[in-house]
Amino acid sequence: MAEKFDHLEEHLEKFVENIRQLGIIVSDFQPSSQTGLNQKLNFIVTGLQDIDKCRQQLHDITVPLEVFEYIDQGRNPQLYTKECLERALAKNEQVKGKIDTMKKFKSLLIQELSKVFPEDMAKYRSIRGEDHPPS
Amino acid sequence: MENFTALFGAQADPPPPPTALSFGPGKPPPPPPPPPGGGPGTAAPPTTATAPPGADKSAAGCGPFYLMRELPGSTELTGSTNLITHYNLEQAYNKFCGKKVKEKLSNFLPDLPGMIDLPGSHDNSSLRSLIEKPPILGGSFNPITGTMLSGFRLHTGPLPEQCRLMHIQPPKKNKHKHKQSRTQDPVPPETPSDSDHKKKKKKKEEDPERKRKKKEKKKKKSRHSPDHPGMGSSQASSSSSLR
Repeated sequence: MAEKFDHLEEHLEKFVENIRQLGIIVSDFQPSSQTGLNQKLNFIVTGLQDIDKCRQQLHDITVPLEVFEYIDQGRNPQLYTKECLERALAKNEQVKGKIDTMKKFKSLLIQELSKVFPEDMAKYRSIRGEDHPPS
Repeated sequence: MENFTALFGAQADPPPPPTALSFGPGKPPPPPPPPPGGGPGTAAPPTTATAPPGADKSAAGCGPFYLMRELPGSTELTGSTNLITHYNLEQAYNKFCGKKVKEKLSNFLPDLPGMIDLPGSHDNSSLRSLIEKPPILGGSFNPITGTMLSGFRLHTGPLPEQCRLMHIQPPKKNKHKHKQSRTQDPVPPETPSDSDHKKKKKKKEEDPERKRKKKEKKKKKSRHSPDHPGMGSSQASSSSSLR
């Protein structure tokens, strides 16, 4: 799994480096650097071909659109991961709180109903497979 | 108070509880029609025979409790378990939430050239625009041949300053500044031994004598050196310090 990403990362790094070198050649162009420029242009074409080949290996990878928004705003995309994890934990705690409260409510309700309707609740417990009333 | 069984519809002779708890989700049967005489005690007990066709059949087998539903299985994953530990994301959580993540994109991609911290909408380089308006692709990338390369013949000379986008880099923190701040930090109090103190004193005593001797030597050298006859003592001292 990680190999796929390493492969793509490697190609992207090479591509970025080629673009950077092309920028340097172009920024102060000399007649002698024409051959170098032509070479770099073809390196970029092969770089694009390599990146395009990686597409086949990564067709099953999905990226949340929010990550693109972070990048477009010049923000660190790791912040998205951080916020996602924090949100997940907060929601997890909320749901756990609700479940615990509902469990408490259930046990209290059964306790109180057992006082008022002991026979019916005994039946209920036998159906549910609960021998002892929950404390 | 009314009887609990009456509230949920009593059965004249409730069947024994089933051994297997297979209560499928079902709707309770509609309330029995009001008796002509009236009164809760005279209500006809709903039986399996009177249950409407849409009602859950399994509900009839659980005694007076036809509102009962099957309990969710204990193995079912719910929010009551810590899902971060369940999916082995503790390491990721500690990595991203344990310490402060730097805000800027250039901190994530430090080796990427150009000013990447600016919003993509400024220079029309946003990833969203790439999704909204995908580029027209011709199918494959072909190498640029000789005749096509003639279109890339450039004029000699440097680019104007406003076009040199690649050279603009986001400001990086200087390591020197960090070092300076370290030196400004209060030094933890040490407890020097007596011997250390004596050594320092000796050094202080020896220092002026050494300096005098060095100065004399340098003067002699500058006088005798043929290469640099006019070299000042201050320059000589600076050059010697470099050595």
